[in-house]
Amino acid sequence: MSDRKIKNIFVSGKIDPAFIAESISKHSTKTAIGGHSIFMGQVRRDEIDGKFVAGIDYTAYEELALEKMHQIREDIFEKYPLSCLHVHHSLGTVLAGNICLFVFTSSAHRKPAIEACEELVERLKAELPIWGKEIFEDNSHQWKENS
Amino acid sequence: MELEIISFGKIAEVINNQRIDVSGLSTTDELKAYLEKSFPLLSEMKYKLAVNKNIIQENHDLKNNDIIAIMPPFSGG
Repeated sequence: MSDRKIKNIFVSGKIDPAFIAESISKHSTKTAIGGHSIFMGQVRRDEIDGKFVAGIDYTAYEELALEKMHQIREDIFEKYPLSCLHVHHSLGTVLAGNICLFVFTSSAHRKPAIEACEELVERLKAELPIWGKEIFEDNSHQWKENS
Repeated sequence: MELEIISFGKIAEVINNQRIDVSGLSTTDELKAYLEKSFPLLSEMKYKLAVNKNIIQENHDLKNNDIIAIMPPFSGG
């Protein structure tokens, strides 16, 4: 194990595009980086049985999610030559059209950044104990299930 | 033996967080049978257990004061 600390990935509510812009601009001092890859998840206004999704309410088993994310982070750093890796996930309500997940990887060359970003997104959707409750415009709800 | 039960997502609508006294139980398989009997809706749901923050894939021994999380399929991202 490395000495990397367990980081908090959770953000209350939506992830602000200004936060994402700020996060990108912070990397301008890291001049060994030659490629960034970014994935952003956005809440979809799905129509289900004639009702539209107004937003998603996210809850998590936070302690377990952060421990699990720490393991994933260690695995990814071991597998790919990355300069850095950032993950942010919403908790609470995120309205349709807003960003709920932000994954950001950087490396000297593009391929590790792109591949690590994709692997991170797949792993965190499958392995982190986070639950999304789709709230409809009439305030009824249903629980999402990742495929 | 006392256990602390915490539940998440859809299952939190069926089972509240609570401490339970389960003298006759010693494994997670026995606990599952107990929970599904006590909360019949649970037997129709997909779920995994975590014991003290470790997700359990196979039957697992329980001890006093273990924290058991009942977790439906994840849907983050």
